[in-house]
Amino acid sequence: MAEATNPIKQFEIHPIAPFNIGGVDLSFTNSSYFMVASALLVAGLLWLSMSKRALVPGRAQSVAEMTYEFVAGMIRSTTGDAGLKFFPFVFTLFTFILMGNLLGMMPYFPAPEFHGFTFTSHIIVTFAMALLVMGIVVGYGVFKNGLKFFSIFFPAGVPWPLYILLTPIELISFLSRPVTLGVRLFANMLAGHILLKVFASFIVMLGSAGALGVLGAVAPLIMVVALTALEFLVAFLQAYVFAVLTCIYLSDALHPGHH
Amino acid sequence: MSNRDDPTQNASDRDDFERRLAAKLEKRRAEQAERAPTNWSQGVRYGSEFAGGVLAGAGLGYLADQVFGWTPWGLLIGVLVGFAAGTLNVVRAASNMNRDGSP
Repeated sequence: MAEATNPIKQFEIHPIAPFNIGGVDLSFTNSSYFMVASALLVAGLLWLSMSKRALVPGRAQSVAEMTYEFVAGMIRSTTGDAGLKFFPFVFTLFTFILMGNLLGMMPYFPAPEFHGFTFTSHIIVTFAMALLVMGIVVGYGVFKNGLKFFSIFFPAGVPWPLYILLTPIELISFLSRPVTLGVRLFANMLAGHILLKVFASFIVMLGSAGALGVLGAVAPLIMVVALTALEFLVAFLQAYVFAVLTCIYLSDALHPGHH
Repeated sequence: MSNRDDPTQNASDRDDFERRLAAKLEKRRAEQAERAPTNWSQGVRYGSEFAGGVLAGAGLGYLADQVFGWTPWGLLIGVLVGFAAGTLNVVRAASNMNRDGSP
């Protein structure tokens, strides 16, 4: 009972294929399984839906085209046409996170042990993606603008003694970006899934407490239905927010000094 | 049916269609722009921007403490500067949202 209603048991990581190199645990876990499944599903579905290349798209093809247009429009509106060279990167991030969030909404999944898992609810995954984004921003910014990229730490139009105060603030503001980017996605998915599980376990607890309990269990059931809908919204929204913020940060690398 | 065979009619039909299509698309874009930022995403954005600033500042301060042995001044100053950075983040996010209405 306690085991079945434990709200954070769903986030446990189990190794599927244990693997060790020099004392470093590199096992293929259920988290890795879901990441591979997500990447394969995105690539496979896109390939399948675009295989006909019809001039008048069918249902699957128009979904694929809508996703493409959506991401391309997002990049164009935040960074301008110059940002379109990052389209493959942003599109991959967006679809990978979206598919991961949606796979996490499945209570059962054809995986070892048959229970679902949300890899975006682990901060190490989201933080690694955020660090990748910031690495590309800094790398491309320095490559394209040279030392001018660092002008984002020295806001223009300020008497120079203020830089002693302002530059550390700007520096920490910049360093906080991967933290916020990673924490937001992770916290949303974690909190939502815990909430779902807690309300679902209320149904079981009340349902096993006699006739009055069964009546009372109707309230958490309604709550779980509403929360499930909300979680689907959050799954889309957080993938979108992650991609939009990636674009905003990329526009810093493309045009530094445009705050 | 008959006016389909008439090229002049046909051209004006197409112009009319283009005009109606453009009007529809414009309307849809306006609707989407209105709907895009939900209150939930805005709230979460402000909260995490601020928390991220403080966390990054505190982390950097703690690191300075460990490396240079400035205990407790690194953490103290780090948290204070992080607080300022978090506020700057929130102001920047708010002005971003006011400008283009995207989260």
